[in-house]
Amino acid sequence: MSKRPALLVVLLATASVFAFPDRGFAQAPFASFTADAVVVTVGMTIATLRDLAFGSVPKGLATTIAPAAATAGAWQVTGNPNAFVTIAFTLPTQLTNIQALPGSTMPISFGLTSALWRRANNNPAGATAFNPAIGTVGRFGPPPNPTINIWIGGTVSPAPTAKPGIYQGTIVLSLTYL
Amino acid sequence: MKRAVWLAAALGFAASSLAAQGVMVAPHAVYIDHRVRSGSVLLYNPGTEPVEVTISTLFGYPTTDSTGAIMLRTVDAPDSTLPSALAWIQAFPRRLTVAPLERQTVRLLARPPVGLADGEYWVRLVIAAKAGQIPIVGVSDTTAIQVGLTLEVRTIIGVAYRKGPVTTGVVLSQLRAQLLGDTLVTWSRLERQGNAAFVGTVRGTVVDSTGATRATFASPLGVYFTMQPRIASIVGKLPRGRYWLRYEVVAEREDLDPAVVLPAPVARDSVRLVVP
Repeated sequence: MSKRPALLVVLLATASVFAFPDRGFAQAPFASFTADAVVVTVGMTIATLRDLAFGSVPKGLATTIAPAAATAGAWQVTGNPNAFVTIAFTLPTQLTNIQALPGSTMPISFGLTSALWRRANNNPAGATAFNPAIGTVGRFGPPPNPTINIWIGGTVSPAPTAKPGIYQGTIVLSLTYL
Repeated sequence: MKRAVWLAAALGFAASSLAAQGVMVAPHAVYIDHRVRSGSVLLYNPGTEPVEVTISTLFGYPTTDSTGAIMLRTVDAPDSTLPSALAWIQAFPRRLTVAPLERQTVRLLARPPVGLADGEYWVRLVIAAKAGQIPIVGVSDTTAIQVGLTLEVRTIIGVAYRKGPVTTGVVLSQLRAQLLGDTLVTWSRLERQGNAAFVGTVRGTVVDSTGATRATFASPLGVYFTMQPRIASIVGKLPRGRYWLRYEVVAEREDLDPAVVLPAPVARDSVRLVVP
């Protein structure tokens, strides 16, 4: 088998296990896939493992979640072994109360070490800290575990006069293949 | 084929062990030929919830900062001195929803300007996926403050458009290396030749005074202009002695179809290592 068909098999097999991890290859949704560009490679998947969950927080007190905490946000990225990627965040500075009148907000902040990344290992103990506001360069793990794991924590600071309700914001994680 | 098996197995393990939210993007690099002027990217949603996807483009290329860290340099409005395809490669559709366990195709259409010179032109595709909504608990308690953060992920991949004869190569210089504990750190200067990006792999081999191989590493790399990458690799603790690092930059990539990897002469150098 030449190299190209072999790689096609990778894509098809990969697609099948993502689609039906407990079923047979014959049911792969990619079975009829044909590419019209000269490209056949494995893909990249960013999977959200866990949300950054503050839950209920007290008024007038800052609540911090460390990136290694069980309630920190966590992602696992799967891609090309040993490849470099940039890891960047777009972070909110305010969360908005979606149940109150417009203008009801809560500050949220991220420290110099509020994010972690680690190759080929999903244990945050031993991961490399970085400033999520600046980002960093990560690297996929070597075979057989071509993954990058990323964690993020943060601090919310509701004012003593903060209105009750649900405060929401958006964190954007950007991964760029280099 | 052996590599194919473990890759599929590894990705399969990752997929089956997660309650994944997000989208799989394949391939992670697209090459469009001027004669075809189109390409495609597949999106697959392995999760159980629909994923909203937005497609956009930007211009940027990998380079290195003063420490040797590889970074993406983006240019908002690339001028004519840069080989940008930002103005004339478009993606369709730009907004879509990928249902659970479904796939969608994003088409890339190129409308290059008349008289475009031979060469390679670049753009980056940004695939933004709303990766899930944090469940808020205790909503019935109207006196409580609940905090939830919506997570969005963006996968940014390279698109290269090739017209006419394209060539590439790399000149290697200023090789340095240092052993720090069990980690080998290398620095080098890589200057691209030709009219297309050099897409290849850096390979290093540490040999001892008898010529026996004591450690190896490999790192995929793209040289778009000039870069001075710092590459750190865990090679294990080496006993006291003198070693040589054989360092080579080859136009080979395990993750890409050989048909899109432009051939180029191997660049080689070596440097002495001493473990006191």
